[in-house]
Amino acid sequence: MTTQNVARLEEQYFRPPPQPVRPLRAARATRNFMVQKPLGGFGVILIAVVVLVAFLAPFIQRYDPDEVFSRDNPDYDAELAEKSLEDRSIRFLYPPEKFEKTVVASVDGISAGHWLGTDTAGRDVYSRMVWGAQLSLLVGVGAAIIAIGFGLFFGIISAYFGGWVDMLIQRLTDTLQAFPALILLLLFLQVVENANKYHMTIALGIVGIAAVIRVVRSAVLRARSELYVEAAQVIGATDARVMVRHILPNIMAPTIVIFTISIGSYIVAESSLAFIGFGDPAAISWGKMVNEGRKLFPASYTMSLVSGGAITLTVLGFNLAGDALRDVLDPRMRGAGKSGF
Amino acid sequence: MGRYALRRTLVNIPVIWLIATLVFFATNVLPGDFVARRIAQQNPAGGEDTTAQVAQIKKDLGIDKPIAERYTRYLWDVVRGDLGESYRSRQPAISEFKRGAPYTIQLSLMMLVVALATSVPIGIISALRQDSLVDYVLRLLAILGVAAPNFWIGTMLLLLVVRYELWTIDLINSPLLWEDPLRSLQLFILPAVAGGFASGAGIMRLTRSQMLEVLRQDYIRTAWAKGLRERVVVVRHATKNAMIPVLTAIGLTVAGLLSGNVVFEYLFNIPGVGNRILTAITERDVPVVQAFVLIIATFVVFVNLAVDLLYGWVDPRIRLS
Repeated sequence: MTTQNVARLEEQYFRPPPQPVRPLRAARATRNFMVQKPLGGFGVILIAVVVLVAFLAPFIQRYDPDEVFSRDNPDYDAELAEKSLEDRSIRFLYPPEKFEKTVVASVDGISAGHWLGTDTAGRDVYSRMVWGAQLSLLVGVGAAIIAIGFGLFFGIISAYFGGWVDMLIQRLTDTLQAFPALILLLLFLQVVENANKYHMTIALGIVGIAAVIRVVRSAVLRARSELYVEAAQVIGATDARVMVRHILPNIMAPTIVIFTISIGSYIVAESSLAFIGFGDPAAISWGKMVNEGRKLFPASYTMSLVSGGAITLTVLGFNLAGDALRDVLDPRMRGAGKSGF
Repeated sequence: MGRYALRRTLVNIPVIWLIATLVFFATNVLPGDFVARRIAQQNPAGGEDTTAQVAQIKKDLGIDKPIAERYTRYLWDVVRGDLGESYRSRQPAISEFKRGAPYTIQLSLMMLVVALATSVPIGIISALRQDSLVDYVLRLLAILGVAAPNFWIGTMLLLLVVRYELWTIDLINSPLLWEDPLRSLQLFILPAVAGGFASGAGIMRLTRSQMLEVLRQDYIRTAWAKGLRERVVVVRHATKNAMIPVLTAIGLTVAGLLSGNVVFEYLFNIPGVGNRILTAITERDVPVVQAFVLIIATFVVFVNLAVDLLYGWVDPRIRLS
């Protein structure tokens, strides 16, 4: 049977009549979701805020995030400094801070000039917080896309063919999941010298594949025994065609759910790495800021508090939205979809 | 049961081989780095031709041979129980691991105690008082606990204790429980609470949803109808069955504690396994990294195996399918 014939038969027996996509319907669906699932709606709002902040970072920052601020030095002694210009030996008789007119504005608390104070290097914490949203989203969404792409591919193949293919992929999954996620990440990041945020995204995506394979595989196993798959095979559709046109659309619900929830896990994993000093040294990361904020203790704790709080709210947003999506799209999946971080 | 156990155990042999292979190749892609570091230490001025030195050091460390030969040798050594020796200290990597293990074990056990002591009772209470104020507050805490990064909770707890001078924390000597119980508790209680709360939150949510599901079953209604007391119905009839899936979550938590430990050992300067792995990775001390990761991953495999077997034992439906 030729492909055209298969396509025609599919058209005849499987395709529902095409429905025009009306913007009004999408809006109504969104409103219904928000009303039915207020917690999920709250999650969506949190995500929207983070996305907005990330995209508008250049406009809502108050200063360049790398600009170093200084302030007047209370110990500065103008008379002494002037004398030292003529007689340099004076510099050795007094403590060095007497000769500096300004110092780095480190450990400056909350003020109108710096809403969230400044960090140890005298940079504006608020402006850095705003840019931190970009890194979290980039790494989180990027890693989730990589993990879903590969996870779908291997998960569908594993469950559809079964036998030794399934066995092999399952053992590989077991292997990946035997490593504590953070240690596997460190291992992968070791392979490249001076890992940057893109390496980190890829490493996170690879580590996340195993969990996606698990979810996809069990969904495909359910779908494979359905009548429509058998029917497609009977009318002569190739394996590739059955997998892409018949199975894939039917496992989208659990895939979307694990995509949403896993983004939160990747964001936490990235910030954990940054916290222990293995993040991208050039990037502004909330996790790194929690750690840097420790150096301001006990004079100021704002930086650690707000950067960690930002991670929490972002992850909370993705978790709540994912939970609500699961209830709406795929109630059977309750309790599944932990991605292991 | 015997056949089920045997099958589940045999499946793990190729997994452990794959783990060893992955560890070997991941750590051997950049073997030159440790040598470069060593050279820089011996010859800080630089400038000289160091080719001969590099060759000599590589020979000393046994990394001058082709990678295939080293791989087979590595596997053979692992089978014999020899996990190599540290490039840096020239001592067996396993003894390095043994020095760190007590700290990590103490920390993990304390975390697990906190996690279980809070999550399981709270999950049950939350399910029994479904949709009450107590339930909402507890669920909110659990949702926040899942979302909040454990290192942030740890940092904030540390700040709290330092700022209000609640007690002194010995961040330099890291005493163990049997060396100096009080000082050890003062230090370890913070990561134990932070880590226990973070991993317990997930268990709590699962306990609650499982309890709700079980409480709706017919045999529970029968138990109520027989006039049994609430305690008997909850403890003997409901909890027993609700705990089956929770077992898996606890297994995952035990395996995951090691990941959390890396962060807490770093934050609280505890010289455990996690902190030593970080040092070894920074210094590219390949044998130590290999040995540590292999031991940890094998441990996780066996924890998962134990959970699977336990699962099959408590729920006959699983081992018969």
